[in-house]
Formats: sequence, structure tokens, C-alpha cells
Amino acid sequence: MGSPGREREEEGNPRPLSVSRQIPYLKAPRRAPEPHAVNERERAGMASRDEIMAALSAVPGPDGWTPLPESGAISGLTIRDGKVFLAIVVDPAKARTMEAMRAKAEATIKALPGVASAVVTLTAEAARGLGGASPAPAHPERGQERRHGRSSEPLPGVRHIIAVASGKGGVGKSTIACNLAVGLAKLGLKAGVLDADLFGPSMPKLFGLAAKPELAPDGQKLIPLEAFGVRVMSIGFLIEEGAPVIWRGPMVMSALNQLLREVAWGELDVLVVDMPPGTGDTQLTMAQNVPLSGAVIVSTPQDLALIDARRGIAMFKQVQVPLLGIVENMSYFLCPHCGGRTDVFSHAGAQREAERLGVPFLGEVPLDIAIRANSDEGRPVVASLPDSAHAGAFLEIARRVSQTLETGATGAKPAPRIRIL
Amino acid sequence: MSWPTDITVTEKGRMLEVVFDDGEIARLTAERLRVESPSAEVRGHSPDQKKIVTGKENVAIVDIQPIGNYAIKIVFDDGHNTGLYSWDYLRKLAT
Repeated sequence: MGSPGREREEEGNPRPLSVSRQIPYLKAPRRAPEPHAVNERERAGMASRDEIMAALSAVPGPDGWTPLPESGAISGLTIRDGKVFLAIVVDPAKARTMEAMRAKAEATIKALPGVASAVVTLTAEAARGLGGASPAPAHPERGQERRHGRSSEPLPGVRHIIAVASGKGGVGKSTIACNLAVGLAKLGLKAGVLDADLFGPSMPKLFGLAAKPELAPDGQKLIPLEAFGVRVMSIGFLIEEGAPVIWRGPMVMSALNQLLREVAWGELDVLVVDMPPGTGDTQLTMAQNVPLSGAVIVSTPQDLALIDARRGIAMFKQVQVPLLGIVENMSYFLCPHCGGRTDVFSHAGAQREAERLGVPFLGEVPLDIAIRANSDEGRPVVASLPDSAHAGAFLEIARRVSQTLETGATGAKPAPRIRIL
Repeated sequence: MSWPTDITVTEKGRMLEVVFDDGEIARLTAERLRVESPSAEVRGHSPDQKKIVTGKENVAIVDIQPIGNYAIKIVFDDGHNTGLYSWDYLRKLAT
């Protein structure tokens, strides 16, 4: 267990509260200033702490009148080679109205002689003490507190959130997720796709989308892009193609929450979440932060992939996410030249696994050049070749999924009623 | 497995009542839940790292947040809030 300072360093600054936080994941994680850091390098000729504090007396604090230095809201001041970093603690709910104060503090510090640059940030550390009626005693475990958005409240307007997952990578999750969503839209449902594969986002390519999402009129949320009747959000829209996302877990959790909750999804019947492979941070964040209606597991028929698919299934069981079923991808190969069929990855392995586990088998999708080529061109086969057998297979999967969701046949039990009397 | 239908904090935060769908009703004190918190802060990462938490006779629950479909997060008035109590775990504590 690291000290709070160390924790912060590893987390980066996942939820900056500045107004310029539109698409914060575009920016390099800025390290929050260390509170009360003593700086050895304050030198003669440069602004001192006292001078800065004196100047800040002219700036009203968060309540609008108490001078900032007396307001108790300054949680950190660091001076390094003429660069000044100041952190002000504010109530997260009021962060937006605090921008004027922040800007004024920054301008005031910048105007001092010997100050090369000034960065003033708003932080929400005050939230730590909230909740207890009695003043909470100092406690060694307090430093562990974090707030990654509030818990697992459902997304307003979104009826069902389903995950498309596998244990193994490269089995075609994203292609299935994309075509499943387009299929659901074809069935008349309002469908969306959230690309939760932050390290390898595929949805921009699969949907042929490249634009940058715009900010909704409320200035808070991003408007998802739309293609083939499906609303799509991906981190791939926010970074350059080919640019890597290199993050530790807490940044992943924070970005996922933003992609989920700070996007204007509108009314949706089903939000399909394309998961990255594995059973790690992303899967856990999704399982904890929203009530998932179910999961679709994708696997190739070979044992090597099925082993990991079982892990994925076991994980969803553990967190009480109902299994909507298993899809067998790359099920067989029909030779376009001779018409002969080859079971490249063996065949029916996923179906047998579904039977063994008592989970619905949703269908098999062949290994086919048309699916691959159309996917690479951003034209999902369900939309571009609607009469093909492949499209038929995807539509059937979509039909089964929607049926299970509509009839409530997932076996999901309602969430308990929670009351605090 | 048994599933909770009602989770209620009573006695000014000192008691948690969990009603399961099989009729079982568990009454768990905030103190017990606090010292038996499943969080890594209390459990560590192996059995020998488990901490004995004491002096929590008067601890109270201030908030409960749902975690996905499977657990709740209990926020105590001493600031502890990293324990996720799954339905299975609540049931285990009850028996």
C-alpha cells in the first residue's frame, strides 16, 4: 500500500476539474502538485511563497469573499525554477463556477516579478471528508479513498448494456460487436456501440468513421458519431490513428467512465460494449460501474481459444452478469474456388462448450473474405451485403440477443432495494 | 444462490439488514462489517497480511452504493469505503 502521494503519482490526474476538460484524455496526464511540497530550489530573485500568498489575498476564495489564503482551500503550492503550481480544493459540484477564481489566481501569480509561469488547478480532495455526520478522525486508511464517478447507477435513457467479450484476443469480438449492433438497429432497435478497447480501438475502422465527436449543446457531453443507424463512441475518435494509449489501470477506469457517462447517448434500447480481450481492468470496471444486462462471448472453435473463453464466462458469472450466449466465429471456411469446406480452427467447439455450460448458442459465423474485406473498408456485412449468408448469421444472433433481453430470459434478478433509514 | 431483495441501513447507521429471496434475513452490525471488510486494506493480499481492525464499536454506515449486479460498497463514517460486499459474502457473514 503506497502513501497517498505515491498513489497520486501512479494515477496521474484522471479527473481534472478544469473547464478545459473536454476530452481530457487527449492531454497528457498532468501531475497534480504535491500538497505542501517544500521546495529547496526557491532562489533569490524568484517569487517566494510569502509573496505569492500575499498577492493571492486580493483573490476571493471559493465562497466569493474570504481571501484565498485564508479560505483554507489552498491544498498545495510548489515553486520550481520560477514556475508556480497552486492547487485549490473545491466542491466538485461547483467546479464550473470556480473557473473565474482559478483564472484570477493564475493571472495574479503570473503578474508577480520572478514568476515564469503559473498553473492553478482545481482539485476535489475536499470530497474525502464528506459523508460522516461527525468529523471523521484521522485514519491511516483514509488516503485510499477515491472517487471514480458515482458507483454503478444505470445510464439514463439506456435500457440495456451488453458486453461482447472473449478471453482470447483476435477471435473477432469487434467484428461481431459491430455487426451485432447494426443487426439490432436493423431489427428496429435503437442501438449504440461503446468501444471499450482503449488500447486497440477498432470501431472507427469497422464503422468507417473518422470525424471528431462534437460537444453537445450543454457543453458537457460528447455527441456520439453515427453510422448504419448505430451511435458509436470510441477513444479512436479522440486520438490520431496509430497513436498509442499507454495507461495504467486507474486511467483506464477513468476514461471508460467518461466514455460511458460523458457521452450524449440519448435514448437507446441496447448499448453494445466491445470489450478488450482478457479479464482485467476494463472488464472489472464495466462489471462494477454499470448494471450489465448480459454478456455475449465470442470464441473460435479451437481449444486454445475456448480455454480463455471459459475464463471470461467464469468472470461474468462471478460478478453476476447473465450470459446471453456464445458465438462461434471463424467457424469454417468455404473455398471460393472449389466450394470445399475447411474447418480451419476445428468446428462446433464453441457450440459444445455452450451445451456443456448450459448457455445459449447464438450461432456460427464463417471465416470469409467478404466479412474481412468489408470490415476493413468500414462497411459491416450486415449493412453492405444484407442478403448474404453471413449477414443472415449476424441477424440471427441479433434476433436471439434482442429476444433474450426483451423476454427477460437472461435469468437476471432485479437489483435489491437499498435504503438508508 | 440466494439473492438479496432488500438492503436497509437502520439504527442510525449501526445496523444493516439484508433480506434474501429465500426468506433469510441477516442483521449485521456496522462494526462487524467494518472489521470484516473484504477490502485489501483489511485483508492484504495474502492471509498473513490480514489486519485486525479494532476500536470500531461506534462506527456507522453513511452510504451504500450498488456495484454492478453483484455487490454493494459500504461507506463508513471513519472514511473506510473500499470494501465491496458481494451477495455471497453478505450471506456468508449472516450464517
